[in-house]
Amino acid sequence: MMLAGIEKPSVTFPAFFRVREVSGSFVVTNAQGDWVILTAPEFRAFGEGTVDPSSTLWERLKAANLIRAEFDVPAAVARLKKRMKFLENGPNLHMLVVTLRCNETCVYCHASRADMEAVQTDMSAETAERSIDLALGSPSPFITIEFQGGEPLVNFTVVKHAIEYGQRRAKEVGKSIEFTMVSNLALMDEEKLAFLLDYKVQICTSIDGPEHLHDKQRKLIGSSAFKAAVHWIKRINQAYVERGLDPSLYHVEALLTTTRDALSRGREIVDTYNSLGCRALHLRPIDPFGFVEKTASRVEYPREEYLKFYRDTTDYIIELNKKGEQILERYAAIFLTKILNGEDPNFLDIRSPSGAGISAIAYNYDGLVFAGDEARMLHETGDDTFLLGRVGELTYEQMMAHPTVRALVLASNVNGRPDCVNCAYNPYCGADAVHTYKTQGSLSGRMRESTVSAVHKGVMDYLFEKIREGDPGTMEVFRRWTINRSRDHFVQVPG
Amino acid sequence: MLDGFPKDLAVGDLAEGSVTLTVDAAVYPLEAVYGAAYIFIDRCFVLLDRPKAGSVSVTLTDKKGAADADSLRRMAGEFANELLTQAWRQKIVEENRVILETVTTQALAGAAARPVSSEPSLDDLASFDFTEESFDDPLGIAMSWEEKYKKKTPTEAAGEASSEGGASGAKP
Amino acid sequence: MIERRFHRDLYPTAAVDGAVKVFERFARFEVVDEGDYRVVRVSAKRPERERKVALELGNYALGLTRQGGLS
Repeated sequence: MMLAGIEKPSVTFPAFFRVREVSGSFVVTNAQGDWVILTAPEFRAFGEGTVDPSSTLWERLKAANLIRAEFDVPAAVARLKKRMKFLENGPNLHMLVVTLRCNETCVYCHASRADMEAVQTDMSAETAERSIDLALGSPSPFITIEFQGGEPLVNFTVVKHAIEYGQRRAKEVGKSIEFTMVSNLALMDEEKLAFLLDYKVQICTSIDGPEHLHDKQRKLIGSSAFKAAVHWIKRINQAYVERGLDPSLYHVEALLTTTRDALSRGREIVDTYNSLGCRALHLRPIDPFGFVEKTASRVEYPREEYLKFYRDTTDYIIELNKKGEQILERYAAIFLTKILNGEDPNFLDIRSPSGAGISAIAYNYDGLVFAGDEARMLHETGDDTFLLGRVGELTYEQMMAHPTVRALVLASNVNGRPDCVNCAYNPYCGADAVHTYKTQGSLSGRMRESTVSAVHKGVMDYLFEKIREGDPGTMEVFRRWTINRSRDHFVQVPG
Repeated sequence: MLDGFPKDLAVGDLAEGSVTLTVDAAVYPLEAVYGAAYIFIDRCFVLLDRPKAGSVSVTLTDKKGAADADSLRRMAGEFANELLTQAWRQKIVEENRVILETVTTQALAGAAARPVSSEPSLDDLASFDFTEESFDDPLGIAMSWEEKYKKKTPTEAAGEASSEGGASGAKP
Repeated sequence: MIERRFHRDLYPTAAVDGAVKVFERFARFEVVDEGDYRVVRVSAKRPERERKVALELGNYALGLTRQGGLS
């Protein structure tokens, strides 16, 4: 065995494990997500079963449940159950696409936006009500209704109606409910804002970086998309303070789409987010849905370039945190929560099985129901593979018994995927089956060729390198990033 | 001939925009061939054939017509990778059937708010007696890798062939 | 006329016949058994239609084979 020079592997010493060589060290994990990072000599001793029982290496391996003779079954079961807790409830994220109309045009748009005259792409109040009724059929005690578009503010009348209806119906059925809205903010005004604040709607927007980059990629006719967004970010944040909310917890968060132009501007992007009071930045790479099919030559890039951008930018974010700034990188926070806390933060696209169908449902403006937002995007480009039915005709039970939902659950399980089954990062990872279907033609895909897999591995390699380095300042930053402070203000509890 | 592929395994036709791969049916199960071929039907016309016993040929013809050598080579390469993936995945799913079914059942039951009654659960795993002989160890946890996969001696193989059958492998 | 040969080990008869049925309004078909093959001969007035139908037939038959040969 070439790995670490192991000559006589032991089959009785190690418990089940997977291993990945990361910058000369060996990340060893078990099925439950326990881990150790070993030097080459340590890994050799582990692999050959020659570890001294009185050594600290033995203690480390035992603590990580990696010694067969000391394998703690109840601990392993408890750890697995903790990781898989998200399986207990049904879909909690319900995305209402209230219109396809949009007042901006973005080079990477995967919302399949329509022009502002396309009123036939507005969701009706009745469809919104039926969508919410279907959503409230979920056994999850807590439901999030997320308004998307196009630009949801274009159909604000229905957004308002849906919120009022949803709030009333959630109370009737005894569920907690939360409303969120993803908006470019360009159509916001004080009246709309007052309503959204009164009804405790969490607002999220998009910021692609400094003004010149943002406006290059997101066109708002006659104006600067960046200036419009920033104006309202500041106004909303100020409004939260006026209502007595802690600004460190309550503020507008923004989403980044990393295009090719962004790859050389990592620090500028971070500084922009920081200056706007955003506390989280998700350095997410571009995805294959929507406009990117046509604009890929302008916006796409090899994932090696992305990973270099990721490392440099996250290093910078860590540096800022050490100086007292409070901004986290979302990918890191997601994986670190799994690695360091043994918990799943329930980010639906990085979960096994993924959230499509069982945790997230998308309701299109016309009442068609899909196993998640990517599934709906495929519909807009002519592919109805992941269509589940129509509101008003589809019951909740039919939706969950749909063979498409079952297929997505099976296909997105990392324990059924080649490459994933052998990967040391198996306990922490996940890849959405709709993405693999879109990019590789099958639900399970070929992970070795998958851009998603490359990104996940690259990010986790980076994190384990940092963990191995053990810099106290960095580890404190990482620890803070795994703390989930709930934003109870937005959660409307019945009764 | 396609660069990087043995002549008897892959042949390209630039004018037709097609590539024909011949695979050993003993190495790649037919289901894997179907699965790999199927993912090409949006961009290729696909035809399977059996040139001789024990072989399957797959002809992929680019719907756009004539192709250059590089695109044919990439098409052949992608098919080969998909074929391997599909073949391996069948084995993985078979080996991991219990955990896959357990998780799927739990996920769908949780989503549908149905109690999971007769399906195996993680609690079943916790109460499983690992001191039992591997004869009754359906998960094969107590079995070492060597026991599970070692090559049989001719004597052992002959002995198995004449025996009346092995463990029932009853699932928990 | 274009001939397509479907080996019975690889394409159930029902899958081939099901594919022919789907395309029968676009071309004329003659279906015969020759040894191990279900042979389909495709004829259409326009050569490009003839070719397209003959080629699409294979994809459709593969799809039906994966579904169990049922249309």
